[in-house]
Amino acid sequence: MAVNWAERISAFSRSPSRFLSGTTAEAFLAELLRELRDDRASYSVKVLLLSPLCEHPTVLCPSDSVGEETALELMSVFAQCPPKTVQFCCHLLLALTSVLVCTSCVSSRSRASQDFLDLLLQIAQDTSDLHGDAAHRSLRATACDCLQELEACSPGLLSQRLELLGGLRQRESSRLHQSYAGLQTLVLRNAVYQLTQETGAGPEHLKAILGGNTSVAWEAEQDSGLMNNKDSAILSSVILGPMGTVPTLQTGPDCKELRSVLSSLLEESYLLTPLCQAALLNRLTELVAMVPGVPPAIFRAQLLRLLGTSEVGLLHTTLLMKCAFTDSLFSAEDEAFILKRLVVLSQHPLLSTPEKLFYMDCILHFPENRPIGCSDGDETLPVLLTPQLALALVPTVFNDSATMLARLNLLSLVYLEEGEDGEEGRGLAYLYEHLTSLLHIVENGGSREIVVTFFRAVLLFLSYFCHVERYSNSLTEKLCQLYLHHTYLAPHLINLADQTQDKLTESSWAVGLLKALQGVITEAPLAQLTLQDLSRHLKMLARVAEEGEIPQHTTLSFLSSVITPSSSSLCVSGDWRLGNSLLGVCRRLLVHPSLDSLLIPLADILQHLTCRYGDTDIMDHARLYYSLLTTLSREKLASMLAQDLTEGGRQVKRRTLSSIMAEGEGLTSALTIHQTEKAIFRLMKAQSEPRERTQSDRESDLNQNETENSPGEANVALEAYRTQFHDPRFASEITLNHQLTHVEAVDSRFDQLFSICLHFSLTDDHYDDLSDISVPCLFRDRPCPKVKLTLKPRRPHPTTLHASAIFTTHDGLSWHTVLPDIHIAFQQVFMPPPTPPTWGRGGRLSLFEGLWDEMSSDSREKDLTDCATSLFCCQLKEAALITLVEKHFLPYLVSDLSEDDDEFKVLVFLPPQSHMLLKIRSEEDAVHFNIATDNWQLLPHINSYLLTITSCQDAALGHL
Amino acid sequence: MSVRALWIISHEKGENVSIRFSRRFSTVEHRAKRLAGSWYVAVPEENTVLQLLLTEMGLSDSNKPYVALRDDCLHCQRSPALELRVDGPAKGVLWPVLAISQGPLILACLPLVDAPAEPRPPLASLLSVSQGLTLLAGLQTFLLGAGGKLDSEGLASRLAMLPAVLLQVCPLGTPLDVPLLGAPATNTVPTPAGSQKQPAWKTGLHRGRAVVNVALAETVRSMQYGNRSRQDLWDVFGTVTCKCEVEGVLPNVTVTLTLPPNGSPLQDILVHPCVTSLDSTILTASSVDNYDGSAFSGPYKFPFSPPLEPFRLCSYTSQVPVPPILGSYQLREEENQLHVSVTLKLHESVKNSFEYCEAHLPFFNRDQMGVVDVKVSFGQLDISKEKNLLVWALGQKFPKSREVTMEGKITFSGPTAGPTDPLCTDLTAYIKLYFKVPDMTLSGCCVDQHSVQVYSSAKPRIVTSRELLSKEYFIWNSTGTAPVSSGLLF
Repeated sequence: MAVNWAERISAFSRSPSRFLSGTTAEAFLAELLRELRDDRASYSVKVLLLSPLCEHPTVLCPSDSVGEETALELMSVFAQCPPKTVQFCCHLLLALTSVLVCTSCVSSRSRASQDFLDLLLQIAQDTSDLHGDAAHRSLRATACDCLQELEACSPGLLSQRLELLGGLRQRESSRLHQSYAGLQTLVLRNAVYQLTQETGAGPEHLKAILGGNTSVAWEAEQDSGLMNNKDSAILSSVILGPMGTVPTLQTGPDCKELRSVLSSLLEESYLLTPLCQAALLNRLTELVAMVPGVPPAIFRAQLLRLLGTSEVGLLHTTLLMKCAFTDSLFSAEDEAFILKRLVVLSQHPLLSTPEKLFYMDCILHFPENRPIGCSDGDETLPVLLTPQLALALVPTVFNDSATMLARLNLLSLVYLEEGEDGEEGRGLAYLYEHLTSLLHIVENGGSREIVVTFFRAVLLFLSYFCHVERYSNSLTEKLCQLYLHHTYLAPHLINLADQTQDKLTESSWAVGLLKALQGVITEAPLAQLTLQDLSRHLKMLARVAEEGEIPQHTTLSFLSSVITPSSSSLCVSGDWRLGNSLLGVCRRLLVHPSLDSLLIPLADILQHLTCRYGDTDIMDHARLYYSLLTTLSREKLASMLAQDLTEGGRQVKRRTLSSIMAEGEGLTSALTIHQTEKAIFRLMKAQSEPRERTQSDRESDLNQNETENSPGEANVALEAYRTQFHDPRFASEITLNHQLTHVEAVDSRFDQLFSICLHFSLTDDHYDDLSDISVPCLFRDRPCPKVKLTLKPRRPHPTTLHASAIFTTHDGLSWHTVLPDIHIAFQQVFMPPPTPPTWGRGGRLSLFEGLWDEMSSDSREKDLTDCATSLFCCQLKEAALITLVEKHFLPYLVSDLSEDDDEFKVLVFLPPQSHMLLKIRSEEDAVHFNIATDNWQLLPHINSYLLTITSCQDAALGHL
Repeated sequence: MSVRALWIISHEKGENVSIRFSRRFSTVEHRAKRLAGSWYVAVPEENTVLQLLLTEMGLSDSNKPYVALRDDCLHCQRSPALELRVDGPAKGVLWPVLAISQGPLILACLPLVDAPAEPRPPLASLLSVSQGLTLLAGLQTFLLGAGGKLDSEGLASRLAMLPAVLLQVCPLGTPLDVPLLGAPATNTVPTPAGSQKQPAWKTGLHRGRAVVNVALAETVRSMQYGNRSRQDLWDVFGTVTCKCEVEGVLPNVTVTLTLPPNGSPLQDILVHPCVTSLDSTILTASSVDNYDGSAFSGPYKFPFSPPLEPFRLCSYTSQVPVPPILGSYQLREEENQLHVSVTLKLHESVKNSFEYCEAHLPFFNRDQMGVVDVKVSFGQLDISKEKNLLVWALGQKFPKSREVTMEGKITFSGPTAGPTDPLCTDLTAYIKLYFKVPDMTLSGCCVDQHSVQVYSSAKPRIVTSRELLSKEYFIWNSTGTAPVSSGLLF
């Protein structure tokens, strides 16, 4: 069993959604709770069982009420825990905290959460473990952790307990004082924050809160409920950038009580672990920032210790302190010292790479005492960071990728400020030299990581120094040479061109690079060209051809020289991929602005491909392009093949039929089926259209007034009726009319849909599988297409169908989408009895009688064991009854409505072989529905159906 | 100051990836949701996180040369925080994901952003980031040991301990401490109740004889070019590691570092958080400042109250006037032969007594070595099994002259190609020195036994030691182009 649970729990945490597709959250939760209460289960397994509740409480408890119940259950488990199972108890407290916080029971101050709070406070105050019972002490520690989390998630929850918490902390001499200190600090911070939000709050309120004087503090409590719902600002740090405003509490200079609490906390801060110390100092920084009456100098005694620390968290806290207090705590020398310290730490041999990167980030967001202008979170250089100081951080080839890029970025900022000319240009020269060294490494077979890093470095360098032509031109040249020897870099170079074009909109560097690449490709001797190189060249030339400013003659002569037989066997080989790449270039040339001057050579190439290429598909496409080129006007050609710029400037190619195959990477996107995020359309029951009357209906109507050609006797009728069912296909299907409609949300991409293929899947085995249905198109502004669902029941029960669809949008992409489920109600399966077409009402009445006798006879002779009778009664007025019958049973009525018969006979056929017979009659006290069926399993459905329609009728009439 | 989720992943160069441990902190997630409002991006399920993380770290699809999502030059990874671009219905960017990677292990966490989500706050304004980094580093040390060596069984047993460990150090997503490395080795007893508060970083009290162990280790790095246009570089950094077995809840110990007369001041001093107070003069000297002759040069006093386990009391850097071993390396290529000429000179101030001293001469981007006709004036020369490396073992001592030479010719005519290195092409080549000198420091810094003060009743036993180690000690071939290694060159 234990193994089983370990596996199940780990399956759940790997993917709760997949796990729950096999069961329900409710069932799984019930299972967990049952096992938790089971005395036979071991506590190590029980600890495991709590993890889903800790990690995914809202998945298991989707509503507050389930959360509340679960919490009560868990608390009763806690109450019964033997004292030795401390680990389990601790985990139980964590699970309770998770459930109560995440289901908002805490913020709504529910019963269970109040009880839990009392329990935690009780554990936290229980110091009976004084004589070294470490196990019990860990329960106390966990209780404190839970209290702290509750306060963090529901600020102000404990603001009335400050005095209690302060006392606990002061009295505690074991390591646990750390937990109390953290708790007290957070509660104090939140309480003060709440006071800052209250108009008129002053020193006496603060004093009252610290002293636990609830009569004054009561107001705060009143508001704290409000605060929870108001906004999340209290959860945010109040230490903002230089331009942020901190909420303040005016107390005047004399707040002895607060000062004494702060001093005591600061004095003991040394005794906390570095992580807790950093958190505590940060909370206190926020607090002092909010109370101008307390001078920041209160921190001074800690500063030297913090500035010299090797702990990243403690130094970080100091920086945040500097951010909050600037020159009221840190002198200009301090500032210079801290900055130098950051530079040292950014390259310290004993620190880890992430730490060093973090310190570099701190340099670029350095909290200066007197910042120049508002930086808005952007990276800026601190004034004190001189080029001399920054020398310690120049990038070198020995750096790892991230460090190298971070250093390159920082030094670029430094040298950008310094300017490029004269003596000072040396820094920039160095950066360029560094880029060249990287390029050499790439050239000499650097790893994939180095290649990627190199291109990132190039983009970074260009984003700062693109305007320095000396370097940007030389870089173009070097990249071309690099490409010529390493054509596998084609995608990297294309990516670089794309990104520089996007990012540096004012620069034409990317076009320059592409043009230069075109140059080296077309001028290189063809003799050494491998097929692999050629395919990469073609990719590159296709990208070059997208630039209207670049003349394309050289590209064309290159194409023509690679396909002419004298120099290459390319055409003979008939490689589809290469042919495709060739066409990719041609296709872009077809829409190039200088097409007029390219017309003849391009036509020659296309014609050559049409006649000589060794692949039929390529030949066909070449022919298509050739005819397009030679027959269409430029405008038409452009609009057919145009690439429209959409979506944030990135080029999204329209996938017209003609481009699908010659589209290179676009091909994948056109051939992939995309998944829609939400439902696009759904199937709705067709509105108010009566059931299509079957042939037999119509014919029997015809026969109505003619001589009936139907059996008079019930048993004969029954016999004749039954004979029809020898053919298993007889009357075995029902047809439901639906409409396909868009759902509300408007996404213009999906306004016009084509070739929709609907696919259905069953959720039970009551029906045969459905075949797919095709709908030619669905337009938002046109009437909805009708869809006929043909169902073949095995058992005529209500059901739900899952539906999905594949369709095409006007841009040529294929999509898969899931439709909302389709619910088939019980009454949708109803059909009039499929009597032979010649029968009239009389025949059906005989059939009714025959069936009724058979079903209600006590002698269960043959195999009539499935038959059953039942009675349903309800209160209905005469008129209401007639309305009901007209509304719901008219197609199935065998007795005449107009006849003055006081009994209605209803015969409903339920494919494939079941019947529901009703005799409806008003008795003195109530309307009786006598029910007979040959399928007793339908009784519950019949019952609930009758209940629904009669209560509806009730309500409707009551309303009248 | 909290993290939303934590993942521990193992992989073999991007293959056989699996999440070995994960933990979501639901209450922190609850806060994240409220803080971020409409910008909230939920943490996806494990597999998605794994895939996104590997892509972002450049480890996915290792067999494909270019993958747009992974290799786009716009994704400039120069911060410790990654962005995971979540697709699908819960579209958005998960930030800031911290990840540290060592060997086959990746540890990652997602700190809570306790600031308005837009515009994105700077990393430096989120305390949860440094807290997350500390937690990850602590877990990494716990899982791999301080040496960073991985043994799969040990790792598995450590991973199995994680739930219990997290209950102590990070029960609800707020890191409280880093895991302890095993049980404290000394005799400890639980704290008795008393007026003196016990530090939270001390798990118990020592009982027994007082012993204080102070070990000073200096590491020297060097880049020597043997080229007039390029200045040789070397630097030294030192660490002082202590193990203190002293009775008392909060015993006081003071360690004092002293320099010889005229010794250059210790710079960039970083101290352990257990150091109780610091004199500001100790912190002033910095390696990024111009050397100021008037700077404070000791003695450096570090008063502290020790934790039970061994810890690094402080570290420093120092600018020493000369490198311990000065080398020159010259290669000449001649008709498929490489002429090699090496001189190594031990500086007179360095104690001529090594624990080991070896010079390695690797050769890249060439065939295996064929004929090796090389003479050394001292020591022993070995050719590595792979025939691409010369190992010159100098043993425990340099000769009296303190100078050794190597001279000769090598042909590269082996049957197979040797290793490649994109940096060391043509005549770009180096010698790397490995040495360790016991009982000495380059800076001259030392801890005098008598200067260690322990304020306790019993007289403690005090053990001090020092040593000098080399690391990244390169001597580049002066006839080739050597890569720039530091901005201090110009």
